[in-house]
Parts: sequence; structure tokens; C-alpha cells
Amino acid sequence: MANWGMVIDLDKCVGCQACSLACKAENNVPHGSPYEQKRHQDIYWHKVIAATEGEYPSVNTQIIPMPCMHCEHPPCVNVCPSKATFKRGDGIVIQNFRRCLGCRYCIVACPYGARNFNFKDQENEEYQRPDLPPDLASEWGGLKFGAEIGPWPYPHRTRGVVEKCTYCFHRIDEALLRIENGEDIEIGVDVVPACVEACPTEARYFGDLDDPNSGVSKLLASRTYIKLREEMATSPKTIYLPR
Amino acid sequence: MSQAATDKPNSPEPKRSNGFQISRRAFLGVSAAAAAVLTVVLALKRPKLAEPVETQTTKAIDTQELIPTSCLNCPTRCAIRVRKVQTLAGETKVVRIFGNPNSAYTEGKCCSRSHVGLQVLYNPDRFQTKPLVRKPDTTKGRGVDFVNDFEESEWADAIQLIADRLTAASPDRLLILEGLNTTSNEDLIRQFALAYGTPNLFVEDGLETDADREGKMLADGRSNSWYELMSEDETESTKYILSFSAGIVESERPLARNLHLWGELRREVPNRVKVVSFDPRYSVTACRADEWLPINPGTEGALAMAIAQVIIGEGLYDSDFINNHTDGFSNYKTLAMIQSFSPDSVSQISGVDADTIRRIAREFAQSKPAIAWSGEAATSWPYGTFASHAIYCLNALVGSIDVPGGIVYQQYPPYAAMPTDGLAISDTGISFRKMADLLRDGAIDTAIGFQSNLIMSVPESREGGKWDEILKNLFYVHVGPAKSEMAAYADVILPACTYLEDWGYESAIPGSGYAEARIKQPVVEPFNESRPTARILFDLANATALAAFSPVLSTPEEFPSAFAQYRTAPFVGWADFQSAGVWEGPGYTYQKYDFATTSGKFEFHSDQLERLLNVKLPGEGTDYPLELTIYRPVLEIRSGSQNFPWAQEVYLVMHGRGWKNLVEINRETAHEYGIGEGDEVIVESVFGGIEGEARVLEGMRPGVVAIATGQGHFASGRFADGMGANPNDVIGTEYDEESGQPSFFSTRVSIRKA
Repeated sequence: MANWGMVIDLDKCVGCQACSLACKAENNVPHGSPYEQKRHQDIYWHKVIAATEGEYPSVNTQIIPMPCMHCEHPPCVNVCPSKATFKRGDGIVIQNFRRCLGCRYCIVACPYGARNFNFKDQENEEYQRPDLPPDLASEWGGLKFGAEIGPWPYPHRTRGVVEKCTYCFHRIDEALLRIENGEDIEIGVDVVPACVEACPTEARYFGDLDDPNSGVSKLLASRTYIKLREEMATSPKTIYLPR
Repeated sequence: MSQAATDKPNSPEPKRSNGFQISRRAFLGVSAAAAAVLTVVLALKRPKLAEPVETQTTKAIDTQELIPTSCLNCPTRCAIRVRKVQTLAGETKVVRIFGNPNSAYTEGKCCSRSHVGLQVLYNPDRFQTKPLVRKPDTTKGRGVDFVNDFEESEWADAIQLIADRLTAASPDRLLILEGLNTTSNEDLIRQFALAYGTPNLFVEDGLETDADREGKMLADGRSNSWYELMSEDETESTKYILSFSAGIVESERPLARNLHLWGELRREVPNRVKVVSFDPRYSVTACRADEWLPINPGTEGALAMAIAQVIIGEGLYDSDFINNHTDGFSNYKTLAMIQSFSPDSVSQISGVDADTIRRIAREFAQSKPAIAWSGEAATSWPYGTFASHAIYCLNALVGSIDVPGGIVYQQYPPYAAMPTDGLAISDTGISFRKMADLLRDGAIDTAIGFQSNLIMSVPESREGGKWDEILKNLFYVHVGPAKSEMAAYADVILPACTYLEDWGYESAIPGSGYAEARIKQPVVEPFNESRPTARILFDLANATALAAFSPVLSTPEEFPSAFAQYRTAPFVGWADFQSAGVWEGPGYTYQKYDFATTSGKFEFHSDQLERLLNVKLPGEGTDYPLELTIYRPVLEIRSGSQNFPWAQEVYLVMHGRGWKNLVEINRETAHEYGIGEGDEVIVESVFGGIEGEARVLEGMRPGVVAIATGQGHFASGRFADGMGANPNDVIGTEYDEESGQPSFFSTRVSIRKA
């Protein structure tokens, strides 16, 4: 089974936030408000952060796109009392809304701030996709790729649960079904998460980290790379290429 | 609220979820979590599912389409594809926007602004009624009430009301304001102005670009020059970019193309580009560049001359190009070599070290092709045309004119003729200064604004009354899809549809060299009572009995698509255009050196360049010791409205903030004035004052205050009103002498705690 990972080239990235907006549109992530932003209650599955160091005029700001790191050893999974968050066989860390208690242990445990709590019921926006439910991927037992039901039923985010980036697993699973049906497509080339697809600078790559011939593996072999907060022993699978 | 929502029946009362789930949830809560957690769980409203799990469908979509059209959230107008789905419940939804891979201009990419298109279409503050006519004795401007101040009118009556006024008045007392419109609608607006006979067409785009274009036209007589960055042959790419306060990856057009090529130039070409950014502010471009060299605002032109002196003095210029294709070089050389333009003198006024100037100049001249890019902040000054010219001449010195990866001259699609072709009106209309003078002198009594955003984008004026008073005294007709500040001043509002419901065509703006046309076709039918701008113009022209308006015979309903078909027919079949969305012109031929100047060559105009030394620096000890600079973040939607939550919540990427703009100030300067991070401060100039939240940072030239534009709306709707402040309220009107563009960057301010 594949081991999905994402590589983000910080040399190419210019912080335009197309990734953040594409993610909001693809996954029906609700938008916030000034009130929520002040209290850090707005939800982002993907966020671009800027970290500045140095003094004038030797300033250096790193603009870092932040999806979920989909850790090899995810602390959020360890602390979850109800097994609502778990790691799939292909390495994607995912959240089952139905099992979530809303205890938010995982939010505390995550060293990357990748998780969000639903403080409100989702508003029904007209531009929301009717075919994507992050909360109900399928029956969780008997998974083949994670799910085999094709397009997803209507999304119902609920107040009081935690949610996060899924590497757009619905796209991956759908592609796996299409490949099984004989279509000639490749995940990481023809099918990628929404943020990778939307990036105008082509700074993001997605693929199988275990496959030495995948684009991401070749990229990692050719350049130095960093993983955020490696000292936490989480082994993130979202990997950055510095300048 | 749009059509789709109003048609929907009220959703049924949510059914209770079944008992088993609740008990399991409660059980897990008690057994697994501590007492504190239990409190949280109980305090939360339990999830209620709209329908039981078993009955949720596994398939929600009946059919889906990817419709090629083009974006209009900034002047780049990228080709996009829009995903429209038909749900099993019978709803039509527009749910995603992607780039169009058929477009070579952006190579199938679009920037973050394009995604916001969904919220432009489904903006809850769009006009939902027929045309609105203002009731007598109601307030214009601030405090407008779009519900009670206006009366709904039939389309025909509203059109007739305007037509009667136009017929009675003298044509030169009409002003037409053109905001950001589709190319096809721009053509029709110009056509309307010509047919009606008014010379007073003001294109608001010129507020940012006039001085820059004028400076370039001084040199080559062409208005279609731009920086190519990379040619069709990928090995011939730009090696060196010298940015003079240009926000290449934030606001400079063509944005999506810049973003895409930035990525390629960084990693995908044999020779990685080097980018050096001169900018008072540590912008995103400066941050992503290889070097940031902070300069004093307004000294970009002098700096360009110092660089020219090093290049000429050390004999690094491209003598082939200079000898064969230029005129006036010897005078320019004499001027550039004077003592006041030496790196040592210029380092005194610009604040860039003299040795650094020499090093950059050598690098620039020796890495070909190299580009010197003049940004809006470098040219929006009283002598902006000359600053633009001085920077543009650097490109000529190193031979980057009309070569791959250098400056190219955009070609346009060969559209079919218009009835008024050849009549005298400039493409860019009248200058800002001309328009402001006309309004102040009372020479205008009626104005029609097409998606106009004038009040938010012009600087405040000292003499002749504020814009607020000027607009209140006009009979103003606003054509636009949603609530806006200009609509607040309107006597008649004609609800136009958005670009996702409109027919039309777009031309690629300068940048690629080769021509590209893009279609605009409706993704959905116009919402509510709104109508395409083209049809509004057609009806208005008929009601005013303008003979030379329409080049095609058509009914009003068919006119927008018939017009687009007629204009694009010479080069592309309509069905092909509809399915591909894009038409590509023939490849670009370099080294044509086809200049439209009197000498037929590239002209160096040196007679006025000495004035670039005359920069006013912030005066210590005066009442207004600081210099205000404005900038445009990438998520400033250029149609004027900012009523889009996706754009609002991530508005300032460098500060991780949204829903406002900040008063950005250097740490030392802030300390001097006793201002701390997050303080509410008042920024004042002789023209007025605004309040904002202070952001104290290192990436700013001391003595400079920077504020992002695009905020400070008061009548644009729920997501925009009251967010931040509009820096234009404190900026005063001075003009660039040649082009009449307002100089946005030369206002001094003071700052104090609120």
C-alpha cells in the first residue's frame, strides 16, 4: 500500500494563498468572521503562516503553507479516547466525526496546530459541494482503500467535533477505484489534493513516499529537506524544501 | 441571497438522531474522559443529523459540467473553468473554479483571487430587485439605506428615465466612469461614449497605471510593452529581475502569470533567476526575492539613474542595441554621468549603500536578459512619468528590449470592426486630473458608472470640495451587481449581472507577447432581475436613439452573445471558442524594434530626469514627520468590493491577519512615538485622519508607515463594512505632471495613540 506524502517547495511558494482558498472550496470548510478570528475559533484545514526573525534591515520571513503533517507517529491518534481519529493504512490521518466526543485532547497534542474545533453548526452556503462529506466516508469496517462508495453523500459538519485536513482522501480513493476499473491515471500526477492542484507556482507535490520512482521521492533525493518539529518524533509526511 | 436560495423550500425540522447513538456518545464521554471533559461535552449542543445515517444517499450529484469562461477579479482576466453540478434534489450549484489548461498565458493556473469568484456570484449583498430609483430627499453616501431610500422600478422605465436625461443634456456634460469590466463591455462602453458624443470617459485602471505607461511611451511610443519573464523556448528565460517597489507576486499584473513563472524561474530553468527588490517595505516580493534593499520612498528614479551611471561608466551597456536602435543616448549619457547621480550621492538620498548600488548595477548588466520592473509605488509620484522612464531606460541599456525574457510588445486578437472605429477617443479616456477638474468646475451634471469604484480608489482632495460633496451633487447612474460605495451615491441603480453570468470576450493583457482571447459565457442564468451590462448599454442606446451603436442586428436579449460572436468571428469559430474557452494567436517574433516614436527608434528623454533628485524626504520636527505608503495585498479583489469572506479572513498573509488592514510601522519609529504592537492609533495628514491597529515590525524602513488598501468599506455589505480603514482618506491629490495620475505615495502623516 502506498504511503502518501506531500512535498512543499518553499523556494517557489510566494504566499498567494490559492491553496488555502482551494481547500475551503473543495472541502466545504466554513468561513470565519472577525469575532471568530479574534478568538481563534475559525476553521482552516490549510493555512499559510509567516514566521519572521532578525532585525531591520536583515529581516527574514518564512512563509509556510501548513496542511496537516499526516505524521508517521501521530500524537493526536495516541491521545484520542474514543478512536475517532486514526491512521489509515496508506498513512492518511483522518477524523471520524461520528465517534468524536469533542474533548479536544488532539488539539492540545498536535504540535502543528493542524486541528480545528467546530464551535458552530455549519451554515448552508450556496457554493458548497453536495458530494463531499468529511464526516461520513463510509462504513469504517471492511475498508479497502479507506472507502469504496465513490462520491460522498451530503456533508454534515456538526457543532462540537474536531476536524482537519484529509489530504483530500476522497480524490485519492475515487482515483483508486478508477484505476481498478482500468483507467490509466496516476495518483500524484493526474490526481492530487486540491491545494496541490491549485498552486499557481507549482510549489507542491504529492505522491507515494515509499515508491522510489515517484515524483516526491525523486525530489527528496535531490534536495535537502526539512520536517517541522522533528524533535517531537512525529515523523511528518508533509515535507518542506528550503531555499 | 440568490435565486437558488430563494427557490428552496425551508428545510424541514431536523429529526432527532436515534437513541443508540446518543447513549453511546454519552457512555463514551463518561467512561473515557475526565470530569472536566464531561463538562465540555455536556455544555455542547449535541450533534443533530438532518437525516438518519442509513438514508443518506451515496450519490448526491446528478450531472456535472466544467464550463470554460474567464475570471474578472483583477485586470489579468485569467481563463478559468467553472464546475457546475446538478444535485439529485434538483438544485443547480456552482461549486469550484479551476484554471483552464488550454490557456498558455497562465499554463492552466489561476491565483487565489479566482477562487473567490464563487462568493462574487453568491454574494448575499447583491441587488435582488429590478432597477432602483432614489426617492427625493434621501441621504447619499454614508448612511445610505438601500431598502428604504430607493423605489423599485421597471427596467424599461429606468432606462427611459436615463435616456430622457441624456437626450435633454449636452453630450459633454456627461461623464462615464469605467471600473473593472470585461474587455467586450469596455469596447461597448467606449462605443456608447463615441456614439453619444461625450469625450469624458474615465478609465479607473489609469489611477494606477497612467504614469508608468506614459514613461514607457516616452521611450518607445507604444502602450503595450511589458515584461515577458520567460519565452516560449524555456531556456530563454529572464536571469535577473530588479524590482523597483514592484509587488510582482502580490499585485503587479498579470498576477497569475507572474506567480506561475516565478515558480518556474526559481527551480525549473537551467539558470535560476536572481531577484533584487528595492522597496521601503518588506513586501511579499521582497521577502521572496534574493535580496531586499530598503530605500527611502520616492527615490527609485534617482536610484535607476545611479545604476545607469555605473553601467555606462564601466562600459557594460549593450552597444549594439544603443547604436542601432536608439536616439538621444549621448544627452542621456551626459546627464547620467553628472556628479549628483553618482552612487555616492544617490546613496545619501536613497539610503542604499554606494557599493551595493555598484554591485547590483554590474550584476544587472552582466546577467542577460535582465529586467528592471517599475512598480506602482515607484511611479505614483508628482514626477512618476520620469521615474518610470528612467527605470525603463535601464532595460534598454542592457539590451532587454524586444528579446526573449525581456520586454515584449503585446499583440491583440484581430477583432471584427466596430462602427465607430477610427473616431477620435483615446483607449485610455481622459486623465484623472482632467476628470477631477471637470467635476470640481461643475462642468458635469450626469455620470454613469460601470462597476465604478471611484470613491474608494481616489485620494482625498484639499481644494474644490471633497469627493463626497462632488458626488452628492451629481445625477449618478450606477451599473453593478452588488451593493457598493458608488451605489450609495447613485440616483438610479441598474443591477448588472456578475462576470460568471455574462457573455463576452477578453484579451490577454501585455505580458506574453502573443495574443490570447478568452471567452466569457454564462455559467448560470443571471440571478434575480439582473441583466448583462451589454444589454443595458444596448437598451440605453436604443432609448437614446444612438445611430452608430450596435455592429450587429439583434434583439436585446440576444445582444450580449451576438456581439461577442460578431467580434470574435474573424479568428475563431464560436463552437470551438465555447468548448476550448481560449484562442491562441501566432507565436511572438522578437527583435522587430517597431517603435512608434518620431525618430522610429527607442528614445532616451533626458531633459527632465534631473528632477528625480528632487525627492522630498520626511521632515524631522514638522507636524507630519512620517511618510505614508500604501500597498495592495494579493487578496484585494480588484472589482472594488471586498464582501467576500474567503478573501477577508486571510487578507494579510505576512501578518496572519484578516478582516482589516493594519498600520504597519518600524519598531524603532514606533518606539520613538510610544506606540506598541496592537495599539489603536490615529494616522493624520492635512487631508484627514483614520484610525487603525498598529503593527510594529522589523521589515519596514524607519520613518515610513504602510497601510494596505482595499478595506474601509461602508456600503458594500456584511463582510466588508467597518473592516479596517481606507488609506486614501488621508492621501491628498497631487498629480503626476505628464499623465495626470494622482500621486498616491507622497503624503506625509503623523501618528499617535488613539
